[in-house]
Amino acid sequence: MAGAGGFVEADNAEAIIARIETKSSKIESLLKQYKPVEALKTALEGSPPKTLDERCKSANWIVVHRALMAIKDIEGMLNALDVEYYDILMKYLYRGLSTGDRPTCDQCLKIHEKLTDRAGLGCILRCLTDTINTV
Amino acid sequence: MAVVDVHRFAESITCHAWSPDHSMFAFCPNNNEVHIYKSSQDHWEMLHVLEKHDQIVSGIDWSSKSNKIVTVSHDRNSYVWSLEGGEWVPTLVILRLNRAALCVQWSPKENKFAVGSGAKTVCICYYEQENNWWVSKLIRKRHESSVTNVAWHPNNVLLATTSTDGKCRVFSTFIKGVDTKDSKAGSPAESKFGEQILQLDLSYSWAFGVKWSPNGFYNTLSHFLRICNLCIGHSSMIYFVDDVGPSPLAQSVAFRDLPLRDVLFISEKMVIGVGYDSNPMIFAADDTGIWSFIKYIGEKKAESSSASYSSQFSEAFTKFYGVHDNCINSIVSLSKAGSPKVMRFSTSVRLDGKIAIWDLGNMQEEIGHQF
Repeated sequence: MAGAGGFVEADNAEAIIARIETKSSKIESLLKQYKPVEALKTALEGSPPKTLDERCKSANWIVVHRALMAIKDIEGMLNALDVEYYDILMKYLYRGLSTGDRPTCDQCLKIHEKLTDRAGLGCILRCLTDTINTV
Repeated sequence: MAVVDVHRFAESITCHAWSPDHSMFAFCPNNNEVHIYKSSQDHWEMLHVLEKHDQIVSGIDWSSKSNKIVTVSHDRNSYVWSLEGGEWVPTLVILRLNRAALCVQWSPKENKFAVGSGAKTVCICYYEQENNWWVSKLIRKRHESSVTNVAWHPNNVLLATTSTDGKCRVFSTFIKGVDTKDSKAGSPAESKFGEQILQLDLSYSWAFGVKWSPNGFYNTLSHFLRICNLCIGHSSMIYFVDDVGPSPLAQSVAFRDLPLRDVLFISEKMVIGVGYDSNPMIFAADDTGIWSFIKYIGEKKAESSSASYSSQFSEAFTKFYGVHDNCINSIVSLSKAGSPKVMRFSTSVRLDGKIAIWDLGNMQEEIGHQF
């Protein structure tokens, strides 16, 4: 199935990684301006769920992680985030929880609690059953 | 509350079906028998026990015009029961399956029935007059995994199936001698038995319920029919497919809570879904044709129709009234034959053995003008 329409082949992965690099520098600048919510939005936008390439996913994860850890006001962040991003954010939260790293897990758990309040169990289920668009 | 009657018939109920006049009702109490109960005054009394299968009866359907019951079971067999002189007489139908049968439905004209099975096939059975028996034809191709649910289109030829490979497919089940070539029906003249008309790659997870909307036909001149078809995925999503044909338009509605197992069209624009939340959910289409989740049926306080991401979550956790304690696994319409809207339906739950009858008559203002 690799290489079928919609899936990105290996040579396009370089293009995606380049895009992620530019995203990352934008996010760094947003964080310096104390705008963590904007940073997270930028990080989540254009997440490449359809690539099979692990490097793209890891690269995007690093960027999202950076933005996630900078968030202090979780309620405010969820208020500002559009509803379509809830599912993707939930997937990244689970990826964060799977790292086992103490500060990451603390932050992810806090966000997870609030996100489930808003998005419900359906969001978690979509994250668990979706084996094609993984992050 | 819209629940009219709740009755606990057994420890556990696998599937159920109503008689044409809704006075009797057949179900499988999670064993190899089918029990038929009749409602008399205030209570239900057991009339018959149909015992022929060797394993769990996984599907029952009761035809409304010819008053026949078809049952399919995990023992890979199916029986058609007819009432002769007060007794139900079984006729074995050899399905030629090598795995369990999972679901069954009579076609709208009741001259055929479709059986979905774990053998990745769908059996279409029809009655052969000369030999006086039911013949089964298999649709072997296309499905990559168990067929969980089947639904007949009102034109008696198209069949929609959902499967655990996450896809919903529409097949033609045209059988020479049983289905007349009716050019008015709008089905393509070159449809042959088992031909897949359409495959909808909607969900990544198991797909469960599928139903056609009541008006199967809009435009009899067009090559393909315009219908709304919906199927549900295990990932808490419900898919509405419009204009099933060369280019179907699918709308997916992601909802907050646990997945659904079965659905029912109440009217052209409203759907009730039942599933792991033990509480039926209402979905409706607005005037532009966009579907969305409206509310649960058994809600204590009135809900605004933008039930998107408010704190409904905490209410869903506190058991609202406990009609059903467990996952509802099937919903059957109880409307009078020929009425365009379904006002009553029944739900059955596997693990608490209850059947609940719901009436939507007094809910019209709450649900809104779409009803």
